[in-house]
Amino acid sequence: MILVILWLIQDFLTVLSGGGMQIPGLFMLGIVYRLLFNDDSDVNLWAIWSAFAGGILWDLRWIGIPGFFTLGNVIVVLILVQVWGSIPPQGRTGGMFLLVFILMEISQLIPPMLPVLILGGNTGWSFFLLQQFYSLPAIGFSMYLYSKRLRNSAK
Amino acid sequence: MDNTQNTTREWVHGLTALILALFLLGVSSGLGIVKNIIDIWGALLFVPEYPAVVMRDIYLDWRSWSRDKNSLNSEVIKLREENAQLRIDLAKLTGEKIYSEDINPKLKTARVALRAPMSWWNEIKIDKGEIDKITQGMPIFYNGYLLGRVSSVSTMSSWVELITSASFMIPAVIEETRELGLIVGDGSGSVALRYIPAGRGIKSGMKVSTAMIGEQLPPGLPIGKIAGEISSGSDGYATYKIDPGAELSKFYTVNY
Repeated sequence: MILVILWLIQDFLTVLSGGGMQIPGLFMLGIVYRLLFNDDSDVNLWAIWSAFAGGILWDLRWIGIPGFFTLGNVIVVLILVQVWGSIPPQGRTGGMFLLVFILMEISQLIPPMLPVLILGGNTGWSFFLLQQFYSLPAIGFSMYLYSKRLRNSAK
Repeated sequence: MDNTQNTTREWVHGLTALILALFLLGVSSGLGIVKNIIDIWGALLFVPEYPAVVMRDIYLDWRSWSRDKNSLNSEVIKLREENAQLRIDLAKLTGEKIYSEDINPKLKTARVALRAPMSWWNEIKIDKGEIDKITQGMPIFYNGYLLGRVSSVSTMSSWVELITSASFMIPAVIEETRELGLIVGDGSGSVALRYIPAGRGIKSGMKVSTAMIGEQLPPGLPIGKIAGEISSGSDGYATYKIDPGAELSKFYTVNY
């Protein structure tokens, strides 16, 4: 449910900005955040198909050609599952902060990068760079929530 | 189910999703049905997106209104300035009087940078100079009334001699009677009108403005009102106290 709300908020903000600024990928940040706290024994199929569904709906609303964000979102989830899954649960401490940041940044980097890579164009690249800039506050907030939850679970 | 099986399942599902996404990317652009789906999806999202559309439209309308208003304001100010300058030029050419409303639209503001206690009623320093097109002798106003004239100019500041200064003397006219006299300050906050022939029916409240004295001070610049007779000499001339229109104890900015 929270992912649906995040998707709708992201869509709402995109409409509100009217193309004036690039909105952070809140939906993918939500998936990444949930995956970071998933138990190692869980199967992360929900994440794969949620990312797929969210991506296809985003493509249908904003890109016009289904596949771009769908592909990007699935790639992000697969990278995350493999990288985060390779770290034993005991090692997922505050020392992994940089890795968590990189994983969150990847979730903002790859999905909007694919349309730029495939369709190209100068405007596309500048928009893509701008989105990374605008994503930083959202990533910072997610990192704050992550560290807070990590502290609470350590108590 | 062990971890290996989980990983395998994730890979199978992940790869399936990847292949499906690639397939969609490859074929969907050529499918007409995609347009229909996009339309339906857009219609469904209309409801949650509606507040954002309204908010954006309100913002865009406000921005557009604000820009139009600014643009109109600047145009009006420019036209007023042009009009005022033309009226002043015309008055200089014909020798006719100028009203304060003719001057006010083109006035610019300067801040009082210094008013020294030792020369409180004599002069002030303002923060505009040569680069702001201030010239020596230029009239300075407050509240649309003559406050003084520029006595010296430097690049970024100027000194203004106030009408209350003991060395300030300019010809003036009583508007109602057209009697000519000389406005002088006393260096202590008072202004007087001298050399008005006695017994000419001059009353308190009559308006006093500049008379023709040169190119930089055109006639008709408002100075103030007659406040009362100070003295009537044996030489046949009376001196009147003037109530300056520019309040000399209140100004922090002046106009030029």
